[in-house]
Amino acid sequence: MEIELGNYKGTSVIVLSGEIDMYTSPKLREKLLHLVKKEATPVIVDLSKVTYIDSSGIATFVESFKRMKSYEGKLQLVSIPDRVMNIFNFSKLDKVFEMYGSVEDALGE
Amino acid sequence: MECLIDLDEIELKVKSNPRYLAVIRALAVCAAEQVGFDSQNVEDLKLAIDEACSNVIRHAYKGETDKDIRVKFISRDGWFHVIVEDSGVKATPGCLRERSLDELCVGGLGLHFMKKAFQVIKFDDTNTTGNRLILSRKLKDQGQCTDNTGNGDE
Repeated sequence: MEIELGNYKGTSVIVLSGEIDMYTSPKLREKLLHLVKKEATPVIVDLSKVTYIDSSGIATFVESFKRMKSYEGKLQLVSIPDRVMNIFNFSKLDKVFEMYGSVEDALGE
Repeated sequence: MECLIDLDEIELKVKSNPRYLAVIRALAVCAAEQVGFDSQNVEDLKLAIDEACSNVIRHAYKGETDKDIRVKFISRDGWFHVIVEDSGVKATPGCLRERSLDELCVGGLGLHFMKKAFQVIKFDDTNTTGNRLILSRKLKDQGQCTDNTGNGDE
């Protein structure tokens, strides 16, 4: 998994590519919790190039989401491929996370 | 056309380092495709097998990365079996925990994924040490089956 940290008009954007599993999710967790520590909001995660996610990847997003709630932060997932979306749907997390078609949609542009 | 094939037993032994989960997934995809599962079922099976092996690393080996994990893929008598073996801390009966999907928790999803992909999940606890998890799915209950001509007949 590759992680690119970016900034779109002042908003933190994380672009992920590859597979998120038990091996790679600690790296993602570190990046997300770094932003949480800074109380960044919103944090946008672009999943368009993610080919696989398992429960450890989902747990990473859930943990960050819960921590962000403490400062009313928003975690927004964008450009989710169908295969990944199926897993969020099955986990009923599509009703929990904010999900958008693109970074621009997330920012209301 | 009959597109389900018998698969000789395939066995993979890897160390309990999470970096090898990708290798296990790759072989799981090959095995599931070989016996004719469609792409959605292949994805479900891949995820379930990944979760089973992640559990071994996390719970049986407590994160130790130099222990052995054996994964066997068997197609026999209309069933696709995946056997995951370790020599770690023996699981206690009923140890597989799943949370309600309505709860927002960090863990507990793995068993849901295993149940989605496999019809039978059982621990064979006849060995005195380690664990042997057997995941089984009927080949005939899979989704649409396609042959090389794209007719989709079984």
